[in-house]
Amino acid sequence: MATLLEVEGLTKSFFGVTVLHGVGFSVEKGKALGLVGENGSGKSTSMNILGGIHQPSAGSMRLDGVPYAPASPKEATAAGIAFIHQELNLFPNLTIEENLFIDSFPHRGVLPFINRARIRRQTEELLSQVDLPHRPSTPVSKLSQGERQLVEIAKALSRNARLIIFDEPTTSLTRPEVERLFAIIARLKARGIGIIYISHALEDVMAVCDDITVLRDGHVAGSAARGEIDVQRIIALMVGRSIDAIYPERSVKPKDDVVLSVSGLSQPGVAKDIGFEIRAGEVVGLAGLMGSGRSELARMLFGLDRFARGEIRIDGKPLVDPTPATAMAAGVAFLTEDRRGEGLIMDFTIAENMVLASLPTVAGALGLIDRGRISAVAADMGRAMHLSTTKVDDTLVKHLSGGNQQKVVIGKWLRRRPRLFILDEPTRGIDVGAKQEVYRIVNGLVEAGSAVLLISSEIEELIGLSDRILTISRGELTGSFARGDFDREAIMTAATGLAGATEMRA
Amino acid sequence: MSPSASTDTPAAPADRPRALRLAKLLLSEYFVLVLCVVYVAAIYPFVPEILTWQVASNILGDMMPLLVVAIGQTFVLIIAGIDLSITAIISMAAVVGASVMTGTNGYLSGSAVAVPAAILAMLAVGVAVGAINGLSVVRLNMPSFIVTLATRMFFAGLAIWYVTFHSTSSSIADLPASFTAFATGSVLGVPYTVALAFAIGVAAHVLLSRTQFGRWVYAVGANPAAARISGVPVGRTIMLTFLISGACASVAAMMYASRMQTGSPIAGENILLDVIGAVVIGGTSLFGGKGKIVWTVFGVLFLLLIDTSMKLLGSSLFMIYIIKGGVILLAATVDTFRHHLLVNR
Amino acid sequence: MKTGNRLVLLLLQNAPYVLFVVLLILFGLVSDRFLAVANFRNIVIQAAPIAILAIGMTFVLLTGQIDLSVGASMYLTASILAIYLTGIPWPLGLIAVMAMAAAIGAVNGGVVTRLGVASFIVTLATLFILRGIAMWLSNTRTLMFPDPITDLNRAHVLGVPSAIVAFAAVFAVAWLVLHQTPFGRQVYAVGGDPEAARKAGLPVRRIVFLCFVIAGLCAGIGGFVSITQIGAVGPKYGDQIEFSAIAAAVLGGVSLFGGRGSVVGTVFGAILIKTVQNGLNIINADPYIYPLVTAAIIFIAVAIDGLRTRIIEKLERRTIRPLTGE
Repeated sequence: MATLLEVEGLTKSFFGVTVLHGVGFSVEKGKALGLVGENGSGKSTSMNILGGIHQPSAGSMRLDGVPYAPASPKEATAAGIAFIHQELNLFPNLTIEENLFIDSFPHRGVLPFINRARIRRQTEELLSQVDLPHRPSTPVSKLSQGERQLVEIAKALSRNARLIIFDEPTTSLTRPEVERLFAIIARLKARGIGIIYISHALEDVMAVCDDITVLRDGHVAGSAARGEIDVQRIIALMVGRSIDAIYPERSVKPKDDVVLSVSGLSQPGVAKDIGFEIRAGEVVGLAGLMGSGRSELARMLFGLDRFARGEIRIDGKPLVDPTPATAMAAGVAFLTEDRRGEGLIMDFTIAENMVLASLPTVAGALGLIDRGRISAVAADMGRAMHLSTTKVDDTLVKHLSGGNQQKVVIGKWLRRRPRLFILDEPTRGIDVGAKQEVYRIVNGLVEAGSAVLLISSEIEELIGLSDRILTISRGELTGSFARGDFDREAIMTAATGLAGATEMRA
Repeated sequence: MSPSASTDTPAAPADRPRALRLAKLLLSEYFVLVLCVVYVAAIYPFVPEILTWQVASNILGDMMPLLVVAIGQTFVLIIAGIDLSITAIISMAAVVGASVMTGTNGYLSGSAVAVPAAILAMLAVGVAVGAINGLSVVRLNMPSFIVTLATRMFFAGLAIWYVTFHSTSSSIADLPASFTAFATGSVLGVPYTVALAFAIGVAAHVLLSRTQFGRWVYAVGANPAAARISGVPVGRTIMLTFLISGACASVAAMMYASRMQTGSPIAGENILLDVIGAVVIGGTSLFGGKGKIVWTVFGVLFLLLIDTSMKLLGSSLFMIYIIKGGVILLAATVDTFRHHLLVNR
Repeated sequence: MKTGNRLVLLLLQNAPYVLFVVLLILFGLVSDRFLAVANFRNIVIQAAPIAILAIGMTFVLLTGQIDLSVGASMYLTASILAIYLTGIPWPLGLIAVMAMAAAIGAVNGGVVTRLGVASFIVTLATLFILRGIAMWLSNTRTLMFPDPITDLNRAHVLGVPSAIVAFAAVFAVAWLVLHQTPFGRQVYAVGGDPEAARKAGLPVRRIVFLCFVIAGLCAGIGGFVSITQIGAVGPKYGDQIEFSAIAAAVLGGVSLFGGRGSVVGTVFGAILIKTVQNGLNIINADPYIYPLVTAAIIFIAVAIDGLRTRIIEKLERRTIRPLTGE
């Protein structure tokens, strides 16, 4: 089969720092290349070069045998390269057809008006290609996340894309939506379109891609066809060492006293009859797919979302109609999955973020806030968290890396010495070093006698850290696994709600 | 991937200290104060009177009501709201207060408690309108611009109507001497109004910069979702800023009514744009999360310096309008530039 | 249950229209003069200037910006017309006013898009400057307009009063531009998500700039129509009219945050406001309560809009599990 894209010796440096060292890979027509690597491994730089945002310092690219060197995103689009980003570039207030043609509306002859009939016809055609049974005049705001992604794909097709690059396409999709996406990708491949698929979800990469290239520190760490490599090997290539070392050993066993006890927690359409306990010194992992109700459960426990029935007890004391304030008073802390949107105030300094949830503790005489004390406690916490900077008073958190931002969020909550720490995707989008820091902190927390509820999409992470794993699907708990009998397959099965578990109980 | 700040290319060596000093001045908290001093120095040869005690005390007298309202507005702007109803509150509070204490057919004419009762009534008006504004924003999910536009229209109209029930003229005169003395009297040489405005300013400054509530105000303005998850009572914080703004407008109403010796429904009618202009000149952002009381003080001072010096120069109202507009535009442009500097620092 | 929900939603979604019908019935019950055709024509004529202004404002609001200077722009352009352009035929006068107002819009738009200053501040500043210049030129006197211009108020085109013709023309063009041209849809895109618009390669700055020019243009036309009606302008002319224009647009469902609303709603909002005032006038209500009632109507309409958004969010929230049987 013919080669669609050939990348050779791609090198790029910014201000003397080389971030890509002669990276090369190729994409065949009608095949998918999985591009994996930690953050900072050079994936996004390579893709920015491919998309015309950056120009390489050295190296060459050929598209369909013709030299390809885009000077701008426009040129990349014109050459037939399309990106489907994690954050979609659609206008919810416009219709599907308007979104597809927003920058290239056909005119009605010489009149300056939009040729509606034509865009409607073309949109219908495109929507049928991506299996989206909606009318072209449907506003995008009415579509689910997965459906919007299909609109983006249709947009790529409308531009005659030869190569479509998917960047973390599945993070905000439900499982059926993921399956549908994969079916569409298969169809794109059958049409001869090349795919580059970038994801941290290695199972997805293995399911979709024909070839896999692993990047590490700006180098190609390895390349192989799907049949010749497995997930373990990919991880080893990504991190440059064996996976066992990532999860630190913990010295304590769970104690007997129960910190969190939940019973009969129900909310129509969201949760049904959820009950479980977490003991002091215990990490309970919650495995579930996107849209399974795992984050909603966390938000209910922290008083952010309402629930109709059920009881939550912290250290035996009931938490009635919780609000974030009362949950916090009871000793609950909550790290949200949306770090930038909800976890931090990006325009605040590190110190200001660190003390936001524990202001009374930095008050001095007359209840007035003591700036010196803020600096001191923030600096202490920064050191304990191994933050990259010590300038906690001057550095805005938006200038920190993802991993350091996450440490600020964790530090903010640790200042309250939580009895129960709910961590929703604590390692999403942070590199492996920062991940280990997070694991170390989690261990420190449970060793000090706190309880942890850990939500993660990475099953390895749950297995590596948890004393017990609960699975959730469609708002119901579907299984519980003790550390002794963790079994990837069984956990995945329970988390996807297969084996008819939900139907049988209903 | 963006280049990190530390690898920024250094400027040419000769330019660097000067550029740095300029940048430092631009970024300084006291930038607008420096502007005030520079402006006075520049204008002094033309209007030496500007540094006389008479003019200075005039500026102070003009400044106080404006300053108090601007302080209240600062709170609302920091939570990313806006309060357009302040002038209507001033009008409404002025006429309600006057109707209580006026010697002619007042509710409490001649009574010993007339003045305290009137002051309470004025405060009550401000707090009540503030509560309507706050509740509408928090509970009914309405944009503050429209809410306060509607309450402004409503209470400005109501104030005019209200006067017709209490007076045959267009305002309520004959206020007790003990009330009008507030505008003229002084304590230890400091006029009452200045003392009161100073006290409010200090209280507001401490509240914003040194209390938990103050931190909440900034957090809500910068990111309400993150504030909520950090345990901040977002609704209550927003509510309180509107109450503060309303109460401040009431205090300004007292100052106007005592100075004009009458409760007029058009008291402070024209200061809305001055107030917002002054706060923004000071550096408080319209998009929330950023602002300080001292900045507002400087902003009000600057606007009044221009106003007064232009009047002293014999400029007409229209000249003052043009220059005021130009200054607001310039200040906002400089602020945008400062913001870029901060981001790229 | 479900049909009930849908009915509530339908009522909420059309709150301004429901409010309008309720008002019609109320005023109609009190006075039989109110529901006369002639009276409706009057309402539309009275609403024309503010509606034209509000149509221009809609473009700016749709991009998520605001223009506080339109009233001042009306005052300045009218003053120049009265002082310097007295002798010229009215079509040239109209063109001159439109050109000047569009140029003012271009200044606003240029400063907003080139210097990146918030439009609220820019237009607040130009408000001061324009009013100052107009007072300077007019010496704060009241300026009278010659008969050829005021006669236009009584002129008809095919039996339709001139104000309604102007109103209809502006509305039709604005509707076509917003809904049937690429530019119009791009205005919505920019207002809905400026960042995405930039990434999609749309000329965001140019679009925002043009919307300010359009707002200026409409201020010119609206101002011209209003001077044919009142025949004279004083220093208070156009004062705070920007707030009425914004209120009309918001009343008709235009969002202050951009990307939502249409000129149909805006026109309706302007007519609703004028209907209230007309109705109060006809039933001989105390003139003092006009602003009170108008404010209350605006408040209620926007409150309902907020409520509607909340209910829609609740109804459209994605559920994880089926709701049945719980």
